[in-house]
Amino acid sequence: MIKKNPYTWAGLGLLLTGSLVALFAHLVLGLVWLIALGLCMIILAAILLALGRAVPKLPPEVCGLFLDAGMDNMAAIVEELGIKARAMYLPSSLSNGLPKALIPLHANPALPPLSKALPQRFITRYGSHPDDIGLLFSTIGSRAVALLEAKPDPTPEALEAALTALLAGALDAADGTTVTRLENHLIKVEVTNPRIGSSITRYQECLGGPLASIVASVTAEAWDKPVTIAREEQSEGRYSIELEVTE
Amino acid sequence: MKIYNRYIIITALLLLLTTVILVALGQTSLNVYYITYLAEALAITELFAHLNKRARQGLNLVSAVLLGGFLFIVSIEAIKILA
Repeated sequence: MIKKNPYTWAGLGLLLTGSLVALFAHLVLGLVWLIALGLCMIILAAILLALGRAVPKLPPEVCGLFLDAGMDNMAAIVEELGIKARAMYLPSSLSNGLPKALIPLHANPALPPLSKALPQRFITRYGSHPDDIGLLFSTIGSRAVALLEAKPDPTPEALEAALTALLAGALDAADGTTVTRLENHLIKVEVTNPRIGSSITRYQECLGGPLASIVASVTAEAWDKPVTIAREEQSEGRYSIELEVTE
Repeated sequence: MKIYNRYIIITALLLLLTTVILVALGQTSLNVYYITYLAEALAITELFAHLNKRARQGLNLVSAVLLGGFLFIVSIEAIKILA
């Protein structure tokens, strides 16, 4: 089925013009270069029609409303509960299904190592201590990981390829990414020309911005270990995120 | 959609530039034009490997149709030589 969007309209227009140009050049003028130009327009028309099928049904503005509403609700929960601890992004193997973010209710400097998958509950117990209770959030990153074709290998190169495919290709949220390993457990990700902003709220201090959330979820999935956002910084055309992989 | 626009603009510019160069070189065979366009379109599509799944499916279909055209040209030329 043909979706009506600017790509489809441009494709149909080029297809019609290209066909007319090629036919007129062939039948009347007998000019090979003009037939070739018509052919060139037909090829571009086919590409435009193919891309027209891939444009999402929902306009970006509507998607933005969904994102804002979801983030407002999460921010309300985080702020009402007075949570100060930073979220830990868990891989799918530790969260029973999609990768999720665990926010301890009590600021605990030394989280116990997670050896088995946490139960699929919003309020969950992650350790044997009475205070080891946290909230298990599904974040924007949890959903973004599902768009990856395969789980990336735990190397900076594979992570960079996966993040670029996701952010520049599938989500069109940035132009590219660069991944460097600073130390053994510290990974730095630089996102070029991000198109999603970040603001400083309690919620973002806790869970990180939308881009940091996506990057942290993908990294947790690649390394198959919990990941925390150590630092995030936005400067002119760059978004820098430092992640700590928990052993 | 920024990545789609970039893909389209690069492809359009390259195909038009190729046409200008081939015309300047005095090329009169339509087959040469077609094969050059095909090679360029396939190369650019490969460079944009990180387009989303649906876009790649559509572009793979376009590539298959263009390759079909190439095979048709090759068969016609082969028949001409054999005849």
